[in-house]
Amino acid sequence: MYHILLQDSSWATFIGRFHPAIVHFPIGFLLIASLLEIGRRWGKIAVSEGVITFILLCSAMGATFACVAGYLLSLSGGYDAGLLDNHMWKGIGVAAFAWAAWLVKSDMLQRLMPAGKIIYLPAILIATALTLSAGHDGGSLTHGEGYLTQYTPEPFRGLAGLPPVQAKPAAIKPITDIQQAIVYTDIVQPILEAKCTQCHSASKSKGDLRMDQLALLVKGGENGPAFVAGKGEESDMIKRCLLPENEDEHMPPKGKPQLTADQIALLTWWIDQGAPADKKVAQLTVSESIKSALASLGKTGPAGADKAEQPGMLSIKVPAANEQDIENLRKAGLMVNTLSQDQNLLEISAVNLPGFSDKQMELLQPVARQITWLKLGSTAITDAALPQIARFPNLSKLHLEYTDVTDKGIISLKPLAHLGYINIVNTKVGDKGLKAIAEMKALRSVYVWQSAVTDSAVSQMGRQKPNLLVMNGFNEAAVAQFVKAGDINDKKELKNK
Amino acid sequence: MENLQKELQHTALLHQTRRHFLQSVGFGLGALGLGTMLDSCGPSSAAGSPAGDVAKSRIPQFAPKAKRVIYIHMAGAPSQLELFDYKPELVKYHGRDCPAEFLEGKKFAFIQGVPKMLGPQGHFAQYGQSGAWMSDYVPYLQTVADEITFLKAMHTDQFNHAPAQLLMHTGSPRLGRPSLGAWSVYGLGSENQNLPGFIVLASGGQQPDAGKSVFGSGFLPSVYQGVQCRTGGDPVLYVSDPNGMNRDMRKQTIEAINEINKQTYEDVKDPEILTRISQYEMAFRMQMSVPEVMDVSKEPQFILDMYGVKPGEGTFAMNCLLARKLVENDVRFVQLFDWGWDGHGTSKDHNVEGGLRQKCRESDQPVAALIKDLKMRGLLEETLVIWGAEFGRTPMQENRNGLVMPFMGRDHHLDAFTMWMAGGGVKQGFSHGETDELGYYGTKGRTHVHDLQATILHLMGFDHEKFTYPFQGRNFRLTDTEGKVVKEVIA
Repeated sequence: MYHILLQDSSWATFIGRFHPAIVHFPIGFLLIASLLEIGRRWGKIAVSEGVITFILLCSAMGATFACVAGYLLSLSGGYDAGLLDNHMWKGIGVAAFAWAAWLVKSDMLQRLMPAGKIIYLPAILIATALTLSAGHDGGSLTHGEGYLTQYTPEPFRGLAGLPPVQAKPAAIKPITDIQQAIVYTDIVQPILEAKCTQCHSASKSKGDLRMDQLALLVKGGENGPAFVAGKGEESDMIKRCLLPENEDEHMPPKGKPQLTADQIALLTWWIDQGAPADKKVAQLTVSESIKSALASLGKTGPAGADKAEQPGMLSIKVPAANEQDIENLRKAGLMVNTLSQDQNLLEISAVNLPGFSDKQMELLQPVARQITWLKLGSTAITDAALPQIARFPNLSKLHLEYTDVTDKGIISLKPLAHLGYINIVNTKVGDKGLKAIAEMKALRSVYVWQSAVTDSAVSQMGRQKPNLLVMNGFNEAAVAQFVKAGDINDKKELKNK
Repeated sequence: MENLQKELQHTALLHQTRRHFLQSVGFGLGALGLGTMLDSCGPSSAAGSPAGDVAKSRIPQFAPKAKRVIYIHMAGAPSQLELFDYKPELVKYHGRDCPAEFLEGKKFAFIQGVPKMLGPQGHFAQYGQSGAWMSDYVPYLQTVADEITFLKAMHTDQFNHAPAQLLMHTGSPRLGRPSLGAWSVYGLGSENQNLPGFIVLASGGQQPDAGKSVFGSGFLPSVYQGVQCRTGGDPVLYVSDPNGMNRDMRKQTIEAINEINKQTYEDVKDPEILTRISQYEMAFRMQMSVPEVMDVSKEPQFILDMYGVKPGEGTFAMNCLLARKLVENDVRFVQLFDWGWDGHGTSKDHNVEGGLRQKCRESDQPVAALIKDLKMRGLLEETLVIWGAEFGRTPMQENRNGLVMPFMGRDHHLDAFTMWMAGGGVKQGFSHGETDELGYYGTKGRTHVHDLQATILHLMGFDHEKFTYPFQGRNFRLTDTEGKVVKEVIA
């Protein structure tokens, strides 16, 4: 019967989309009418029949409008046909019984059909029951079946006979052995379930597309197949993900959870490899970039979180420091900043306090756990301060440039498990000190320009620890070499002329 | 001295009449009511501290990778096709008519009719382990290729200098928005209390076309605006004491003025008065600190050689050296402008052959030296260096008024240009984005100005969508309603 009445047009869709808004009015009106009727018959409230009749008229008219709009909305397609049919007939039933209840309640029909009164109670009862049932179907159409009861807690869950709760359905399960994982079921399907199937599955198939089964993905929707095996970048589902978020064609629609770059890369890779249903990762060609995307799958954190931490970037969280302690530091002239909103780690700098000395190190003790960046460059501190610095367990960046620290002091920093960056430019630290701190596991960069560290120690360290940046700087000879870089080209230019 | 103070007191008293008394009582009561009303909705209470307090940082969303920024803006826009975006195909097209598809529906600043294509003027090769393409225009930059991330498919909306510069620095082509530097200091605070958090140095003989608004504070309290320092002579005019005025006297004067301002603030609660007070105090401290930090005579000779500067010069090279000194002293944002890159081909200085070569000869060595210098001092990890202009230049030769230009030149181009960044949490030796074979459009990794701004804020620890300032009834942000962080370039 769909095709005889109206055709899908932008007007139809425009009016249709008011259905979810309009539909709540008749629901409310009908419930009020029944409640008032109960109250009146019970004798608890004084309400005239006229009021109830009027409310019934409103609900009957509202239900009719909602039916029309709902029908127009259904023309845009993408809904589960069975569920939609139920919903539609229940909705029409609501309208019909609401009209019936109003007709017999009002005086109009009474004269023609004095016995009509007996159908009043059943009519309003059926209309109300149908409202609740149709409303539930409507919810299922919009949010997917089982939405209402998805998070029913125990013991009600067991009583209602629902299956046990699945651990967060959207989360992608960690994969223990990535090489043995089956690409479609272990990687592709979980991504689609997390980001696509809410609108593209059995209960709701927008654009006639279902993405919950491989066969249906191949079949595609009203715009053709979702992918072309072997051609990831030309596949509709990939192209849409890559469009700018503002475009209408972009998927998932703006505001919905988006696919990450890694997830898009993995889907593209799977299609490029011919979109196999049962091949394992080990059976396909894996490029470098896919390798890192695959590696991110097993982790709960954001993609690439396992990469070597950038020096000075800790992911640790600590309790917030005492406000009073921070205030004391500021009063003393130190700069104290909270590094980010969720970590409570502190950055402390003595940039405005060149006289900062070993004695004042005491001030820092109350926030020992929070200090992660400490800048004491160009201050009056000496070796005596360093054993105290070694007691800041989360220290990741340390500036000691232009101070009097030496090998003797620097060695005491060894217990710092997170120190990634240390600046000892223009200090008296030498080769012995460098060797000692180079043993620290987290250390990524050491700046030793104009310290007592020798060039040979720097180059030796470069060979021993390729992951550690030991940065020495320019001297006169190196600058003379650097300045020549332009000469070569100037000559070339002359030759060209 | 005493006379001056007495005179001040006397004048102040003369101005206190009965009318003033009654007026201030009236205003005071009104302000009392208004103040309590405004307090609850003003920006100051929303931020938790007076908005004018520069030292205070707003806590970033994530730990900042870039604590400081040096932004090098080549005003006028150098040609990406001569420097970084190597297009061998364009050589073949040299001298041919521009394909019609490039001209349809397009507007250019000067090009009219059907222009000819112009082949690249530089000799290109790949440098560093990353294999970055660079031309012989920038021989020094070649030596730091592996520190740099290129953005090769930048694009913008504006084809005239001033609006394009405003868009690049304030997120809007119209006046009135705070600049990137102002947002940075507003967000992360100013560290060195003796220096402004946002310092601007200009070279090349002219100010940027968009004027001081490119480093203004817009609707943020004016304490966040960029402070422009002169490179030669007195770095800041009128900051040194005049003859006959010693430092103590100056101190007393400023204390007196601030006392009066504080009273006025108590009366009317205008946060701009706090700005004024802090600026007087800052100016006083700057009298000592600025000449010191801007004095390069104590730098060793080999450092001067590295940048290629002589003390006393007011050149771009000097500004690069000063930029290093400023970030070394924890200045949050240093903005360099260098004018004279507008290579239309109209004159000996403004073209993409000799003129551009000359501009590169003046700027290439100091820029490379700056990166090396920051690196060896351990500053590059925390300092983001940004190099770029307001737009790029066309693959076509300019034909202003349908004439043949006396020199090889290119018109303003907004669909594709190159910028680069180094340090401060971006990848080392990386290139993002590609243009088509003639360098006209970005084909991969297109990055809009707002995307770049979102990325810079991200590196400084701020989510550009959450980092806002309430003004005229709504929350404003640098990227307005656009912008997407270019995750690819972040290390």
